[in-house]
Amino acid sequence: MQTAVFFAIAAIAVASALGLIVRRNPIHGALFLVVNLGSVAAIYLMLNAQFLAAAQVIIYAGAIMVLFVFAIMVLIPGKEETGPDPLRPFRLVAIPFGAFLLVEILLMLVVRPAPPREPPGAEGGAEAIGRLLFTDYLFPFELTSVLLLAALVGVLALAKRKA
Amino acid sequence: MDFPAVSLRAILPAIVILTTAALVLLLDLLPPRERKGHLAVVSLAGVVAALLATTWLWGGESRAFRGMVVLDGYALFLDLVICYAAGLVVLLSMDYLRERGLESGEYYALVLLATVGMMLMASAGDLIVVFLSLELMSLSLYVLAGYFRARLASGEAAMKYFLLGAFATSFFLYGIALVYGSTGTTNLDRIAASASRDSLMMVGVALLLVGFGFKISAVPFHMWAPDVYVGAPTSVTALIATGSKAAAFAALIRVLVTSLRSTQPDWTVLLWGLAAATMTVGNVVAIAQSNLKRMLAYSSVAHVGYMLIGLVAGGVFGTGAVLFYLLVYTFTTAGAFGVVLLLEHAGGEGVSLADYAGRARRHPILALVLSLFLLSLIGIPPFGGFVGKFYLFGAAVRSGYIGLAVIGALNTAVASYYYLRLIVYMYMREPEGVEAVSTPSFAGGLALAVALVGIVVLGVVPTPFIDLAQAAVTPLLR
Amino acid sequence: MSTSVWLIPAFPLAGALVNAIFGRAIGRRAHWVAVPATAAAFVAACVTFSGVVRGATYTGQLYPWIVAGALKAGVSVQVDQLAAVMLLVVTGVGFLIHVYSIGYMQSDPGYARFFSYLNLFVFSMTMLVLASNYLLLYVFWEAVGLCSYLLIGFWYQRPAAAQAGKKAFIVNRVGDFGFGLGVIWLWTVAGTLQYAEVFARAGTLGRATATGIALLLFMGACGKSAQLPLHTWLPDAMEGPTPVSALIHAATMVTAGVYMVARSHALFERSGVALEVVAWVGGVTAIFAATIALVQTDIKRVLAYSTISQLGYMFAAVGVGAYTAGIFHLVTHAFFKALLFLGAGSIIHALGGEQDLRKMGGLAPRMVPTAVTMTIGAAGLAGVPGFAGFFSKDEILAAIYDGGSLGLWSLLLLGAFLTSVYAFRLLFLAFYCAPRMSPEAAHHVHESPTVMTVPLMVLAALTVVTGFAIGIPSGEGTLFAQFLAPVFPPHEVEHGGFGAYALLLLSVIVVAAGFLLAWLLYATRPVAPEDLGRPRTPIHALLFNAYYVDRMYDAVIVRPLFALSVLLARGFDAGVLDGAVNAVGRAVVAWAQGLRRVQTGYVVNYALTMLLGVVALVGFLLSR
Repeated sequence: MQTAVFFAIAAIAVASALGLIVRRNPIHGALFLVVNLGSVAAIYLMLNAQFLAAAQVIIYAGAIMVLFVFAIMVLIPGKEETGPDPLRPFRLVAIPFGAFLLVEILLMLVVRPAPPREPPGAEGGAEAIGRLLFTDYLFPFELTSVLLLAALVGVLALAKRKA
Repeated sequence: MDFPAVSLRAILPAIVILTTAALVLLLDLLPPRERKGHLAVVSLAGVVAALLATTWLWGGESRAFRGMVVLDGYALFLDLVICYAAGLVVLLSMDYLRERGLESGEYYALVLLATVGMMLMASAGDLIVVFLSLELMSLSLYVLAGYFRARLASGEAAMKYFLLGAFATSFFLYGIALVYGSTGTTNLDRIAASASRDSLMMVGVALLLVGFGFKISAVPFHMWAPDVYVGAPTSVTALIATGSKAAAFAALIRVLVTSLRSTQPDWTVLLWGLAAATMTVGNVVAIAQSNLKRMLAYSSVAHVGYMLIGLVAGGVFGTGAVLFYLLVYTFTTAGAFGVVLLLEHAGGEGVSLADYAGRARRHPILALVLSLFLLSLIGIPPFGGFVGKFYLFGAAVRSGYIGLAVIGALNTAVASYYYLRLIVYMYMREPEGVEAVSTPSFAGGLALAVALVGIVVLGVVPTPFIDLAQAAVTPLLR
Repeated sequence: MSTSVWLIPAFPLAGALVNAIFGRAIGRRAHWVAVPATAAAFVAACVTFSGVVRGATYTGQLYPWIVAGALKAGVSVQVDQLAAVMLLVVTGVGFLIHVYSIGYMQSDPGYARFFSYLNLFVFSMTMLVLASNYLLLYVFWEAVGLCSYLLIGFWYQRPAAAQAGKKAFIVNRVGDFGFGLGVIWLWTVAGTLQYAEVFARAGTLGRATATGIALLLFMGACGKSAQLPLHTWLPDAMEGPTPVSALIHAATMVTAGVYMVARSHALFERSGVALEVVAWVGGVTAIFAATIALVQTDIKRVLAYSTISQLGYMFAAVGVGAYTAGIFHLVTHAFFKALLFLGAGSIIHALGGEQDLRKMGGLAPRMVPTAVTMTIGAAGLAGVPGFAGFFSKDEILAAIYDGGSLGLWSLLLLGAFLTSVYAFRLLFLAFYCAPRMSPEAAHHVHESPTVMTVPLMVLAALTVVTGFAIGIPSGEGTLFAQFLAPVFPPHEVEHGGFGAYALLLLSVIVVAAGFLLAWLLYATRPVAPEDLGRPRTPIHALLFNAYYVDRMYDAVIVRPLFALSVLLARGFDAGVLDGAVNAVGRAVVAWAQGLRRVQTGYVVNYALTMLLGVVALVGFLLSR
């Protein structure tokens, strides 16, 4: 069962990554990336790394992707940049899909599956990760902050109007 | 909670540089805001302080942060190399940036942050730290490569460097994951203890080599080097060619020699091929180049090939030879790029071979100095390049890799052609066109003088440095 | 004695530095630094020599240079009989040529620079001779090469000079590639590079190993001493000032190869095969270059090919184990060939830079000292009985005959005939037949100043007396051989007896025949200048173009390498040949069209190459 689920998720991850590369429309690409990040988060969950999964969803799929989309919107405005969408009629598919999703959620509420057999493993939780970050991995953790500083300075240097 | 002891002593040189970087960023906000010369002086002072810290720590040996950081002779030796590279680059940058009106605190801060990354690469005791410090260095260099935003080639260089660097990083990261999968740890010592040789490990080693191969620009992962070297500001090119290469070699050697010892027979064969391909492609392609920075880029690719010979040879002798060569190479290459930088026009022109025709007439001293650096690159005594090559090829022959030594020696004969061509252009051609004569500033002159003294000292009294290099690698090989 | 040894290189080094640093201020007075420096070196060499004559040898170390584990190589010197002889030749001939240069380079703008280089050369050459280990030998081997390169390209305004300098350097690098490998190999098998220790252990080396090392070392000697197939740089090196040709490309530097082989005789003997190779390469080169010298029209190129040929004789001698004969020829050759070059320089000086034999002739009455001394030099080269070259060449021929190698012997005998022909051809064409220059050039002909003719006379005197003084064979060999006996094992040559006299007679006949032929061809009737340079037969054309070796190298090595470079550059890296234009264009496109363009453009190709590498690396390691 687990294996089957894993392969399903992995297939989604790979397919969305492919979609990201193949699609010429940047917004489509960004959306594929969201799917990809989400499926990776699911894999984290399967590995009992709840904290990582949550962080993945909140930070990458949430915050960073929103930033990406904004950036794309600001930098590439107008229709002629994205080109006419040949798949416009397919947008109608969104209605049945939305409906389907609604049904699914309702089903989930109705069926109430059994609780997970195992309680969340201690090693994947926030506390465990926090412990590791401040003990064994203190140095890489701090180093990451330096890395972020460098990124910050770099962005400043590149973004300044006049050097 | 059981916090690890925070022993900043083990990373003191890096901490000094990091503090300086922060200081530079702060000072940047204070007046005088028009002139930034003092920031370079502060950066330089930081580098010198780091050098002093390195010498103060000399002989120490410890591990800190739960084995994440290793302080040993090896790390300290490379700290020296990296500090020299960073110091020379800061000196060379001062007037180069001012003449182009591009001085800024960010530039020096990024140079210093890149230096921190390089130093930590040399003292990393864990693949995670190797990765993070490599990224710290790379990220800073990506930005620095595109620092001349007004110049299209500079932006292109940054973009290419970044894209291909990200490509290589993904392989590197995957390699770390596979090694972790095979051994269950990312700690270098514990990887060594597991002595794993399964297929996961093999692919992991290959991917790690890809990542390092990119950073040291070994064939076929060298493609970025010429474009980036040409497009980046020349001062940054000097840093990429010297410091980043030294750091990547530092991490590569430590990872290969300590943790991947179990697979030595496998990667030795691989490196044999890489070394032969790298030096041959580098030298042969350099012949066709008409742009000086491009030619030096291929030349630096070729020199990576020579250094890989030492890794193939292995042992205290071979590995020590690589370290010694790195030291020589850093001085020589930084010096050569320094002269190119001082002779470059404000718009980035003046780096083609034709521009160097008759340069000796107008800049007799700079031309002479560049000739000496080129002679060291060829490997003519009494410069350091000769001793370094002798030592590398000697190590190869000693370990029985006579074929590789022959290829290397043959390559030096080929290489003498294009280095010599530059000397001939400078001394034996009539100058073309008119050109304003600018005299190199004090800072630039000082940088060249330090580099020149370096290659002469390393060539005339190499023994103490060879001893240092051998002493530095001895603990790795235990 | 230790002081005098170190002073020999110290004086010229100091002279070179003074002229290099203060050259601008010193200007025309540069010779007041350089000439005394060389003279002092010569005096120090004489003192050292007298010490050696009394039986004292010296070894000493300045400081340990490279000490890396088992590898130890110091800046250390040794003086034995061989080194003492070489030192005398280098500093003595060097001194004379320095004096000569005062006149010859008189009006050159690079006066101080010239003397600085010349001093630097004397320093490097004396250190090369003094070195007591292979590493130091290699270092100064490269250093003399560098000086040679600087001096060939001295008149860098001439493109040909710059080209010749570069060629000399690169061809020598090819030889040095072998030499360097030989040194490294030697160190790995013998564990030391110190001469004394290496030779002591030579017997323990495997025969194949010894052969390999010896041949690699000989490869370096081929480059430095312009032997086949690395001889092509020496004729081109004649672009340098004539005193340079005399000092570096005739008397001293080019003989370093002979010195090195003689010095390493223990290694070469251990191999055996290597010695044979040396002998045959020398023999073939001797006759090969002599044939080319027959038809050259540039006076300096005739002498250059003659030098290659004479060096061949030295190698042939060394190759059959007649080390003393080889070194003796080295010494006499240094005298008469320097004399010939300086004489040629005097002619060139007199004719305002003309080097073409076709535009000379009839110079003897106008330049008596030059004509007389050059006649002596040519007689020495041809091996006319009584002159130095006769004794040394005869020694070589006798040794080879005794060695039983009849093929080599007949080759060199034929070479002696050719030598006689081209030596006298040069003499007749320059001095003793009707003038062929333009009337105004003829009008300006004048004898060179005393400062140039005196060195000619000294060298002429040496050419006359050296043979008689130290080259007369006796029961125990020549005086010269007795002096060198501690360095070289005695080589049994039977002097006296019917065979020896027959050989002597034969070589006299050969020389006379050569003289007669040259006389018939060039002195009995007026020579039309247009007949000289125009090849009439295919063989003449072949010789005139020096067997087309240069063109062959160009076609077989230089062009393919270039093609490969361009090919690789094109394949691997799109922006080479017209790189600047492309780079700008590409960048504009890249920025105008945004990131995507870069991604679909060249970067993808780069990434694909990397991917190729990844697949290869992973595949390789996975397969193990």
